[in-house]
Amino acid sequence: MRRALLAFIVALALGSCGQNDGKTHIYLQRFFGECGAEYGGSTDVAKAEGECGIITTLVNRFNAENPDLHVDVNVVAWPGYPQLAAQMAARDPPDLVTMHAGVISDYAADGLLEPVEPYLKRAGISPSEFTDATRLGVTIGNRVYALPWDTHGGLFHVNTALFEKAGLMRNGKPVLPTSAEEFLQQARRFKQMTGKPYLIQSNVGDPAYAARNQYTYMMAQGAVLFPDPKQIRLDTPVGRQVAAFFRRINEEQLGTLNMDTPAAIAAFVSGEGGIYPTGTWMIGSFEKEAATPGRPLYQHYAVFPYPRLWGTRVEYVSGHAWVVPARKRTAKQQDAIARFFRFMADHNFDWARTGHLPAFRRLLADPRFAALPHRADIAPLAEMGRPLPGYVRRQNAIEGIVGEEMAAGFIGQRPIDVALKQAEKRTNTLLGELN
Amino acid sequence: MASAVDRGRLTPAGYAALGIGALIMLAPIIWTLLLSLKNNAELVGHSEAALHGPYTLENYAAILGNSLTMRWLLNSAIVSLGQTAGVLILASLAGYGFSRLDFPFRRTLFVIVLLGLAVPSQAVILPQHQLFAWLHLHNSYPGLILPGLVAPFGVFFMTTYMRAIPKELDEAALLDGASRWRIFWKVILPLTIPAQSTLAVFTFLGAWNDYWWPLISATRSDMYTLTVGLAASQMNYAQTSGLGFLMAQAIFASIPILIVYIVFQKQIVRAMAGTAIR
Repeated sequence: MRRALLAFIVALALGSCGQNDGKTHIYLQRFFGECGAEYGGSTDVAKAEGECGIITTLVNRFNAENPDLHVDVNVVAWPGYPQLAAQMAARDPPDLVTMHAGVISDYAADGLLEPVEPYLKRAGISPSEFTDATRLGVTIGNRVYALPWDTHGGLFHVNTALFEKAGLMRNGKPVLPTSAEEFLQQARRFKQMTGKPYLIQSNVGDPAYAARNQYTYMMAQGAVLFPDPKQIRLDTPVGRQVAAFFRRINEEQLGTLNMDTPAAIAAFVSGEGGIYPTGTWMIGSFEKEAATPGRPLYQHYAVFPYPRLWGTRVEYVSGHAWVVPARKRTAKQQDAIARFFRFMADHNFDWARTGHLPAFRRLLADPRFAALPHRADIAPLAEMGRPLPGYVRRQNAIEGIVGEEMAAGFIGQRPIDVALKQAEKRTNTLLGELN
Repeated sequence: MASAVDRGRLTPAGYAALGIGALIMLAPIIWTLLLSLKNNAELVGHSEAALHGPYTLENYAAILGNSLTMRWLLNSAIVSLGQTAGVLILASLAGYGFSRLDFPFRRTLFVIVLLGLAVPSQAVILPQHQLFAWLHLHNSYPGLILPGLVAPFGVFFMTTYMRAIPKELDEAALLDGASRWRIFWKVILPLTIPAQSTLAVFTFLGAWNDYWWPLISATRSDMYTLTVGLAASQMNYAQTSGLGFLMAQAIFASIPILIVYIVFQKQIVRAMAGTAIR
């Protein structure tokens, strides 16, 4: 009993031991999972695969190339914001954090993030090097609050075998609609020729799906979704037109119903529909299916940004970025952060192999990027992508509200005008409660 | 004896009903186990692939290959055992006090303790977090253990149990010259072993499965408990592109709980049936 007690006390004491190796330490916090078993000792970035593998190897490589520095990595459960908020409340935030562009405004508004221009300047990076989508995503007012790392958004993932069957291929490429009416015509024809739905939809438990559709096609028609930081405007003729379009798809049974994300993915890879609008992050998984003989998608997969159905070609996007929480740091730590920024900017291509689009304009024209599967087709997203305005706070929560209401409108659970009004009311209440 | 008689009376139809019930309850566990033994890529869009081979242990190897997994396991064990020991000590002492000692405001204090049952932990999470930050206790074992020691249910449970023990035992011991502490330690406490076991099991299970407090208090990965560490290990979209790994994590995290259940199943069943309080 006494021995057990002693062992317990020793374990408690060991838990608070620190390290002193003469290096400058910076503390990086990220999501993307833990894959130390596979990549823990790897510095060969070119051989790494997937978000976790690539980011793990990049940090290993940075540590190997900078013997005077060490990046201590803390992997948090996605998305990591409860932990970050707790760390900030305890005045012990990390030095670098992965953050979604839509969340930056929440932290920046409260002075919890440092503007990063000094680090960018020291790293020799100019915001003019960023793509439009990423620059807008990390800029609030006139200040840059993060090193952008990628753009991610919705894509039309296409089963070209079914498109071929529907006679919707031209020169080996799927013919995507160029207007709402053409979309419906294609969808009817597709269903008639293949007996399958044109659109695979994850309308259950995936509010981002409906919100992305509503935002994108309202933005394309020049709608100002947030006329000021405290107000969203959805219940407009344009808003009703977009919602009515998606409602019609479901009324005519041109899309799947009652599917959550895993079900929709399963349906797509099983060849149960023509188009699955989902994110950049699924390219890798679908490409694997397309490379596996015997699978429905084998050699029959293509992917594109959302097609223009109205107005101009614009799409709602978000992105990952590196932010620097506000806290006291030594000059050496500040220098380490700048060096880390430089390293990550130089290796943005490696990250683009995940399926996300690069944050730097130069990479869009890089032959290495164009040589990656489907990248030439999806590259326009980096320039046509538009985040919500930087002054809008609680973007994640708003996406949840708008997505929930619009999904109810799209599938007929609620009249469209009621769904739009409800989305506006709930969002404006949320925004009205902010200081 | 009674259970043996009951078992003897079970008809074949009863056995069949029990078998079907057990199968229904086991099905999700078996499904989870099968998924955990499959390659992740194979499960993308084809979860039915779990019903046939080839099976692999690669997901378990990935969990064990993470250098921090064992540390998280140790952290969970330290926190769960620490909380269990603390709750047993404090709840027993408080239960003894409330059930057998007469002191001013005893009833009022007991009501205040019981009110603690009505306060959800979320309601106090902000001041609790600030208090622990002020005390510099985050990312430490005391920081993870101490909040779990506030156990109004444990106090209520032990008080109720001790009240049922005849006071004549205390009186006889007092007549023999025993001190209050000696009566507690030598007479009453041994009689509460069944209740202690039940409370220990519930406290341990609660501490082991706790996610919310460790998530925001242990923000450095070397101080994560197993629940937080495993959640952090998951890739984004784990439910689609990392399903096998996700299920292997679920199985891995539940093994210690399963062991506890097997060892203490008598106490757990008795507690569930409400027979621990006599």
